[in-house]
Amino acid sequence: MPKTDKNGLMKSEKQSSKTLLASLISILIGLIFGAITVWIVGSLSPDISAKDTGDGVKLILMGLFSTGRSGGALTFGFNPVNFGNMLFRATPIILTGLSIAVANQTGLFNIGASGQYLVGTCASLYIALSIPSDKVHPVLIWLIAFAVSMVAGALWGAIPGMLKAFLNINEVIACIMCNWIAANIVTWIFDASNLKNTAEGTKTAYIYKTTYNNVATSKMGLDKIFPGSQVNGGIIIAILICIAMWVVMSKTTFGYQLKACGANRYAAKYAGIADKRNIILSMAIAGALSSAAGALYYLAGNTEFYWSTYQSLPAAGFSGIAVALLAVNNPIGVIFAGSFMSMLTVCGTQLTYLTPFNEYITDVIIAVIVYISAFSLIIKMLLNRKKEKEYDKRDGGELKTDKETPAKAERKEA
Amino acid sequence: MAENEYVIEMLHITKKFPGIIANDDITLQLKKGEIHALLGENGAGKSTLMSVLFGLYQPEEGIIKKNGEVVKINSPNDATALHIGMVHQHFKLVDVFTVLDNIILGAEDTKLGFLQKKTAREKVEQLSKKYGLYVDLDAKVENITVGMQQRTEILKMLYRDNEILIFDEPTAVLTPQEIDELMVIMKNLAAEGKSILFISHKLNEIMAVADRVTVLRKGKYIGTVNTKDTNKQELSNMMVGRPVQLQVVKDEAKPGEVVLKLENFSVPSEIHKGNAVKNVSFDVRRGEILCIAGIDGNGQTEFIHGLSGLSKSSGKIILCGEDISGYSIRRRGKNMSHIPEDRHKHGLILDFTLEENLVLQRFRESPFQKGGFIDRAEVRKYAERLIEQYDVRSGQGPITQARSMSGGNQQKAIIARELDRNKDLVVAVQPTRGLDVGAIEYIHSQLVQERDEGKGILLVSLELDEVLSLSDRILVMYEGEIVGEFLSKDVTAQELGLYMSGAKRMGELEMEKVEEAELKAAENTEKGGNEDA
Repeated sequence: MPKTDKNGLMKSEKQSSKTLLASLISILIGLIFGAITVWIVGSLSPDISAKDTGDGVKLILMGLFSTGRSGGALTFGFNPVNFGNMLFRATPIILTGLSIAVANQTGLFNIGASGQYLVGTCASLYIALSIPSDKVHPVLIWLIAFAVSMVAGALWGAIPGMLKAFLNINEVIACIMCNWIAANIVTWIFDASNLKNTAEGTKTAYIYKTTYNNVATSKMGLDKIFPGSQVNGGIIIAILICIAMWVVMSKTTFGYQLKACGANRYAAKYAGIADKRNIILSMAIAGALSSAAGALYYLAGNTEFYWSTYQSLPAAGFSGIAVALLAVNNPIGVIFAGSFMSMLTVCGTQLTYLTPFNEYITDVIIAVIVYISAFSLIIKMLLNRKKEKEYDKRDGGELKTDKETPAKAERKEA
Repeated sequence: MAENEYVIEMLHITKKFPGIIANDDITLQLKKGEIHALLGENGAGKSTLMSVLFGLYQPEEGIIKKNGEVVKINSPNDATALHIGMVHQHFKLVDVFTVLDNIILGAEDTKLGFLQKKTAREKVEQLSKKYGLYVDLDAKVENITVGMQQRTEILKMLYRDNEILIFDEPTAVLTPQEIDELMVIMKNLAAEGKSILFISHKLNEIMAVADRVTVLRKGKYIGTVNTKDTNKQELSNMMVGRPVQLQVVKDEAKPGEVVLKLENFSVPSEIHKGNAVKNVSFDVRRGEILCIAGIDGNGQTEFIHGLSGLSKSSGKIILCGEDISGYSIRRRGKNMSHIPEDRHKHGLILDFTLEENLVLQRFRESPFQKGGFIDRAEVRKYAERLIEQYDVRSGQGPITQARSMSGGNQQKAIIARELDRNKDLVVAVQPTRGLDVGAIEYIHSQLVQERDEGKGILLVSLELDEVLSLSDRILVMYEGEIVGEFLSKDVTAQELGLYMSGAKRMGELEMEKVEEAELKAAENTEKGGNEDA
């Protein structure tokens, strides 16, 4: 049936371009809303001049391309530092976003990304700092640290997975509890360790940077493209992981099984797919991805980890929810959504440096985008539901087949 | 004037949707005090027509008259004002409210802003007595039976003084006993002067209760006939548009070797402690359709779950000479295919496409899987073949979302998937539930064909008609035990009913004789055949 085939393809292409459009619209609305916020705050505050307000709006929209000021006016152009920093900051939230997106595709809400991120951080730092680099090659230490962190994250993520599979405990509740358990365990481990930063006496509750042990993520040539920035090869690894996950989820039998269990656990079980095993695996994969996020951020070498985390959870886990939402759970889309979110952070830094505004304005933008993308999902759902109802009414499923066409022709003749 | 004979007239109604004429010049005239059936297959336009009458859709052409006067129905509120009421197929009740609260909801009597439940209760009690609609007014809806929920819906309509009552497929959710009760209620209502529109595709019920029938097919008006002057065959031909085989056509069974043997098979209940299936032993042979009959809730669901591996069971399950009782669901599927009872829960993944659903068990097999990757082109080719072969109709072929397909085609997709796996044992649970005559005919003929190819068919059905017409041998399950065994040609519905309700029970020896008799009969026919040759 070549005819229906073509129709189908067209429809699915249309559907995905619609999804992309929805994401772009929510980004646009978010940016406009941010600009308006800046403008209102600027206009109402007697300390901020009209020129500063105008600059603020410009930086919200184009902060990535800001190159500072010359003669009092903002200048714009390609800024390698901004670009590099954007990629560096995007790395962890791309991976936590991927973790949440993959879990969502399998019908699970992984709100435990923060805890998994902490477990990954802890495992990678512990190994990177405790294996002496004069005995083992630093690159090997890096690889061990990265691998162990992913394994640790997978085991940690599997806990809520097992609770769900065997005891039918909702994964959201189990994940939230696991987050705080992770925070306390990590604090306790570093409390007891001898990895505390004692070289810089002013710092308490900080771990040594991994460069202390000569371990750092390879730059992979990116420092030549973006000189002066914090960028390293982590972003390339993150993108490769995203592509790999896309292949796994959409091309392999394994991904098919995971999605089948997510979409209808009972039908999957009936068809002989091991539903319990797949639920645990989904959560383990999500855990490994979030842990990889933590590992790539802290193995960079120049990042500091504040180990007293029992009071607050890392934001990367929650930013991941926004990233997954904006990317509509598409592993490739996550790369762009994560980059966009971190671009906003860069814009915020520029705002702080160059105007009287502070970077928290960008949180308003992120919040608006999250709301709008959630809304657009809801609206899409409502639209689909309405369509379905109409389908039911006229039983449209049967209408477009070739076999019906003669009947239609008859009707016209009559 | 003759006009006043009709309480509602829908004249030359045409309703179009993009790409389809759902109602094409349809005329329906409802007399006062009659039960008028609206008959048609799924998608014939019955629901659209009723939605027009109920004010949910506006027709492009045509007029609606009430008592001879033209009326305009723009919304359900207008319909209510004209005393038109509808009992939907899926009840619209608030689960945590009592029956009384549900009945008065939206039409509450108030005095100074306070509910006047006492007067409401009196009115409802009066109505329920008058029409024989027994309900427990103070029970919460979530705790009462489906039949009582339906009576609540009917009382809701009567409480609002409706004169025209629309019943949308009211029997789909009821047990045989509840259906009988409903028929009596409908007749009472008509006798009291209410006019009833009864939407259905079940011919038995229409013949039993309706005065006249209007038949629709593919959006067109086919005709209106008096039930007195017609018969089931004529009605089904009108509905489908070609002569339909109401009786299952099949030759005598030729039972061969045993394909499935159950020994002391027990399955724990999903509701209470203790066993729902108790020490059941029987054989299914190649070339026969063995049916497990019984009233819903006598252990059939647990039996199937135990057999398929969804729940734990004890005793032996010997399939093709191999004891599979300890095996996983997947390993049990090696020689068994399975048409599940609940096609939405167990049969399909509704958010997946048709082609993805068609390989739900086979995606690991070659050629669909190559090195861990799914070969989409092969899946597409396979899906296209099944769609063609089993005539599964859908909007976009292989990539249609299963959710958007009609119930009959969803079931056809499951049948295609299961029968194409070509296993020695086919387990079919309620394979025709909720389907129309055309689809039922098709599915029955497919199962008979499988039987004739030498497969063993284990059928579980709640519908006596299906049990008697499709199966070769019948086992009756009552409270988890097999209480009777019959050859379907030797037994009547009444006789079966006695065993199904637990009033009668067979001894083991007697049951053994039945299978022997079947084998002997088959032998005789074979011999006879040989002699003829």
